[in-house]
Amino acid sequence: MLLLENISKTFNPGTPNENQVFNGLSLKVDDGDFITVIGSNGAGKSTLLNAIAGVFPIDGGKIYLDGSDITGLPEYKRAAFIGRVFQDPMLGTSPSMTIEENLSLAFSRAENISLRWGLNAEKRKLFSKYLSTIPLGLENRLSTKVKLLSGGQRQALTLIMATMKKPRLLLLDEHTASLDPKTAMLVNELTEEIIEKEGITTIMVTHNLEHAIKMGNRLIMMHKGRIVLDIRGEEKTSITIPRLLNKFEQLQGEKFAEDRVMLA
Amino acid sequence: MLQTMLLKSIEQGLVFGIMALGVYITFKILNFADLSVDGSFPLGAAVAASLIVGGHSPFTATLAAILAGALAGYATGILNTSGKISDLLAGILTMTSLYSINLRIMGRPNIPLLNQPTVFSIIQDAAKKIFPGFPVQYMYLILFIIVVLAIKVLLDAFLKTQLGFSLRATGDNPQMIRSQGVDTDMTKRIGLSLSNALISLSGALVAQYQGFADVGMGIGTIIAGLASVIIGDALLGEKSIFIATLGVLFGSFLYRFSISLVLSFRLAQASDLKLFTALVVILALTAPRFKKSLTTLKISRE
Repeated sequence: MLLLENISKTFNPGTPNENQVFNGLSLKVDDGDFITVIGSNGAGKSTLLNAIAGVFPIDGGKIYLDGSDITGLPEYKRAAFIGRVFQDPMLGTSPSMTIEENLSLAFSRAENISLRWGLNAEKRKLFSKYLSTIPLGLENRLSTKVKLLSGGQRQALTLIMATMKKPRLLLLDEHTASLDPKTAMLVNELTEEIIEKEGITTIMVTHNLEHAIKMGNRLIMMHKGRIVLDIRGEEKTSITIPRLLNKFEQLQGEKFAEDRVMLA
Repeated sequence: MLQTMLLKSIEQGLVFGIMALGVYITFKILNFADLSVDGSFPLGAAVAASLIVGGHSPFTATLAAILAGALAGYATGILNTSGKISDLLAGILTMTSLYSINLRIMGRPNIPLLNQPTVFSIIQDAAKKIFPGFPVQYMYLILFIIVVLAIKVLLDAFLKTQLGFSLRATGDNPQMIRSQGVDTDMTKRIGLSLSNALISLSGALVAQYQGFADVGMGIGTIIAGLASVIIGDALLGEKSIFIATLGVLFGSFLYRFSISLVLSFRLAQASDLKLFTALVVILALTAPRFKKSLTTLKISRE
């Protein structure tokens, strides 16, 4: 179980660029939750994931995972139990290293790195088996450099890297947003398949309302650093895109013409 | 004459190639513009020469030089990772400090080693005893080939270990490797130590090869190292680690050979060398851009 308690974060405090993103945000994520997060630009969706992953220290509040306080833990240590896929396909992999070398890094994630060989026949066989579960033909291209892959292939690879060693928590930050519709669908299917099979607790940020409704068991809408909607179960399955947009306007008491465009 | 020149260029290319491999680790693998080089190269020479003159075994002296270089690299790493000083400035600070430190170590600006035992003189004596017909004129060549190839093979192997993978990913995509649980501050410090250890070893061997250590011998080392790395990359590419490090050594040889060509045809004076080196690097760095703008020009004309 992940618990965010009253967290606050201000970027560039005391400068003209000061930007208060969170001021007392709390969130409880239950084991096995698959939460989709929506919201307009600047709502704090990505910042939320970054705060959980420990990319930057938060100003106030506490973050607990399974009861232990991880607020002060640096990013590389949190990686032991958090898997991530970013929006930018460039960010999740090491481009000038090969597919198998990237997988090897993920395979020994958060273990003590040693002077043992990064690759051996056993690992190669295993990686090939992992890759054969996705219909991209990567299992025969283990020694191809990742920079030669397409965006979709990279995102699929990153997803496999993030979940290869089952993480306590999977953070997906609009991981299909920069892919073409067909590849996005493929990566989304793969995402659901892996999460379901392994039962991974997941938080997925998306701009696509359809995905947000269709995927996961819980939906959160954020606005200006606050959670303005948190629905699950029947309430979530019965919601539609127009009603979601409606709810958004209603909750905010303002018209969001811009967001209507953004979200629809 | 050409044969002597070729022999000398290969010898120098190899012994300075160790330094170039160090530069390759920081510039190519870690993507860290480390300027400590100009200080850690003479540091190796200073430590080795001082210890040899002080009566220590040349092997101990060379080993000490390696450790001193690792320490210097570690210092740059600490400045950058803990002190949050940019890579360029951290390297410059170490380099500048080392100038004074090297003078302290030597106690004077220059230490001649002409009548001192060196690792080479010891090996030469031993070789002569074992094989009476040992071709003394090729001694350096044979020794350097053995030492440098051993270092290359070890470096290639290291870069294929788990730690080596982490180092490569640190230079390639630090965000990604942190999210895989690797402390990039640590990998940077390890890489810098390793790099400067090699550079210092190169300095120690060069001092024993040319017969003196001089506090000014480090000036321009980084440019020579960069020139080797860039020439190697341009000629052999980076298809694999094996090819890339081979390219660095080949680049180091070509660089030394072109310098001796320039000197022997009296195209320049010895004092023009640094300028010449800088020009080689500028040319190598701008050539791809130049080629690109030529292509764009052609396309826009069409």
